[in-house]
Amino acid sequence: MNNAPKVGESLASGRFDAASGTRRLLQIVQNGGLLAVLVLGVVIMSFASPVFLTRINIENLLFAATVVAVVAIGQSFVILIAGIDLSAGAVVALASVLSVGLVSFYDVPIGLAALVALGAGLLVGIINGLSVTWLRIPPLIATLAMMSITRGIAFLFSGGRTITPVPDIYVEIQQSRLLGIPVVILGTLFLALLAHVVLARTRFGREIYATGGNPVAARLAGISTSAVTVAAYAISGCAAALGGIMITARLESGAATAGFGMELTVISAVVIGGVSLFGGEGRVSGVLLGVLLLAFVQNAVNLLNVPPNYDYIVSGFVIAAAAALDVSRRRLLEAGMRRQTRTGGRRGPVG
Amino acid sequence: MTEAILRGTETPSSPDTSLLRVDGISKSFPGVRALINVDFDLAAGEVNALVGENGAGKSTLIKILSGNYSADEGVVMVGGQPLDPSPRAAHRAGVATIYQEHHLVPMMSVAENIMLGRWPRRHGLIDRAALNARANAALARVAPQIRSDRMAATLSPAESQLIEIARALSQDSRVLIMDEPTTSLSGPEVAQLFEVIRHLKAQGMGIVFVSHWLEEVFAIADRITVIRDGHLVACRATADLTPEAVVHLMVGRAVQDIPHTARVAGKVVLDVKGLSRAGAFEDINFCVCEGEIVCLAGLVGAGRSELAACIFGDDAADAGEITLDGRRLAPGDIRAAIAAGVALVPEDRRRQALIGNQSVAVNATLAVLDRITRSGIVSQRREAVALETAVTAVGARMASVAVPISTLSGGNQQKVVIGRWLARKPRLLILDEPTKGIDIGAKAEIMELIQRLTDEGTAILLITSELPEVLALSDRALVMRSGRIVGELPRAKLSQEAVMNLATLG
Repeated sequence: MNNAPKVGESLASGRFDAASGTRRLLQIVQNGGLLAVLVLGVVIMSFASPVFLTRINIENLLFAATVVAVVAIGQSFVILIAGIDLSAGAVVALASVLSVGLVSFYDVPIGLAALVALGAGLLVGIINGLSVTWLRIPPLIATLAMMSITRGIAFLFSGGRTITPVPDIYVEIQQSRLLGIPVVILGTLFLALLAHVVLARTRFGREIYATGGNPVAARLAGISTSAVTVAAYAISGCAAALGGIMITARLESGAATAGFGMELTVISAVVIGGVSLFGGEGRVSGVLLGVLLLAFVQNAVNLLNVPPNYDYIVSGFVIAAAAALDVSRRRLLEAGMRRQTRTGGRRGPVG
Repeated sequence: MTEAILRGTETPSSPDTSLLRVDGISKSFPGVRALINVDFDLAAGEVNALVGENGAGKSTLIKILSGNYSADEGVVMVGGQPLDPSPRAAHRAGVATIYQEHHLVPMMSVAENIMLGRWPRRHGLIDRAALNARANAALARVAPQIRSDRMAATLSPAESQLIEIARALSQDSRVLIMDEPTTSLSGPEVAQLFEVIRHLKAQGMGIVFVSHWLEEVFAIADRITVIRDGHLVACRATADLTPEAVVHLMVGRAVQDIPHTARVAGKVVLDVKGLSRAGAFEDINFCVCEGEIVCLAGLVGAGRSELAACIFGDDAADAGEITLDGRRLAPGDIRAAIAAGVALVPEDRRRQALIGNQSVAVNATLAVLDRITRSGIVSQRREAVALETAVTAVGARMASVAVPISTLSGGNQQKVVIGRWLARKPRLLILDEPTKGIDIGAKAEIMELIQRLTDEGTAILLITSELPEVLALSDRALVMRSGRIVGELPRAKLSQEAVMNLATLG
């Protein structure tokens, strides 16, 4: 066919070539706007602070962003199916203490310890998924409970102490570079690319968007929405565990307090990045921008010697603006759909 | 020609008796002229029925009368005063609208619902005694049998409707607009509603009665107003009209049988034996053969959609069994049903079939993801092939398959929803109200498509409330009433009267 289907992002994404001017404007604000805001901020900061554009500061900023980015990529899968994973921060902590604690306390080989940490994240994710699908507990509550349980286990395992030293290999990976670029940053980008491909070009990705966009329609088309849901939570759990190992390497210690409150930062980044909290809409590139924007705000607040708590306030405004944008865009879309599917009166037999 | 004659003999009531009067109303939406220079009037103590096909403009007119839309041209007068276009102004002027969906707060009492938002207060607190007294006064006029302290959640649809009418009365409404008020009511409940309507009439209330059911219209209306394609076609006393004449006015042509091509049915595809599900249907037995269209006719709420859900595996039956091509289908397993060759086009397109924010391509390939992927990755070549079947072959038209499905017309959306299954070559295609909310041109195309699929050997189970469709398409019709199949009509015995008699009478 001549309007050949370009598979991938042009089809399975939150985009629409809307005729409506307002909708298009919102679209530009959401997609291009985020990048524009970020670029503008960088330009302003490079004048406002002599330190900002230094290699060390930029690398610091990006390093700080990597952990959030990895956890946020996992969280995106969950939010795309209209769920939410509040246990992500606690999983970071559990993975953190397991990945060093198993080595220090029980002489488990380093590789195995890391695998157990990832497996723990996977398990938490699967339990989250089953709570939501089998027990039908609302995601907010299910993962809130899991957050508490997981954090508790992390404290129990570590005895509340900070576990040091971390195995050398963690530090080495953290410090190694490829072509002058820190490996951790490259790895995060690779993970983002992988997630992008999965979401945009695979069957699973299509099932995620369908399940989030309209679970009833997805089920009636033969998609196992329960399996998709469990898988999304499992991915989020795994990603959070990986984030936990990364933060352990960065701070060179394992702690049950790691990632405290991180789930909120992560969810903020995902929403700022244009992933709809109503599900079925959003892209990995947006999530990365959301993560960068939050990291930038934090960095700027630091460099400008603003008392650090302002960081929370600024971030709060950014989140509220992003959420308001999402809701208004959603309403426009729904108004459009009603127009299309409910033209005319009601039906019933005639005669 | 008939039209001209009828127009010439319109019987407008004189202005002094008019409760509600609409002069030269026009309303356009982007791309559609919904109403063009329409006049309408309602006298005190009168029922004026508003009829017309889907999309004729009835809903738009109701929304203007209830203040939800403002007219582009023309005026609405209530009791001689022009009406401001706002729902509040309509309320204040005494115009109340009862919609199909009932708007009650489930966890509040009947009395609180009747007085919703207007609870009498004393010293800043709600005055229960006054609340109950005023609610009971309104309730006594329409439904003295309902206790005012019942929780709204426990009410049946018919009772909820009566409560809404009581609410309108408590607001001293003079005009009551009822949009398809009988859709969710049983026979006796309809009779009860009509009793209430006659009672209100006698008290001088004017009622606009919107319905597709012409028997009801003829039973209750004093006058009938017909609109077609946004134009007022006729407004005449009921006594001067016959149902046939009204149908003629609504469609603008005499209803004639669409030629039906005789088909030879092949071997049995679907066989349903003794299927029951508590509260939905009981002891259902029937089969559908290759190349055969079997129509499930009946009123809304007869249990047809619930039966379809069971066959498709979206729900499990309590008893009985379903076989497809001789093999038993696992109950309550959609994926097994799909694998066996069952496909379903559900009734509510927006809620059950479309991923609204996604492209046509994503929607069209939703049921064939296993076939367009290779080790989990979407293959562009395979997807293009699938789209050829799902979009092009069914004649869906759009700028590109990358546009969101929500931007398509209802007809094109429905073609894609049907097309989504075709690459699987389903053995049995269940279509639940496939032409709902679709314009006439697309309707004909979809009916043609259904016939083409049948010719290719697909067994089709068609659920439709449109009698002309039953006549045009079905080889056999099964009529359901209150969860049971009450009659089977072979093609030779099929007529609108035969179906309606089975569906509505004992």
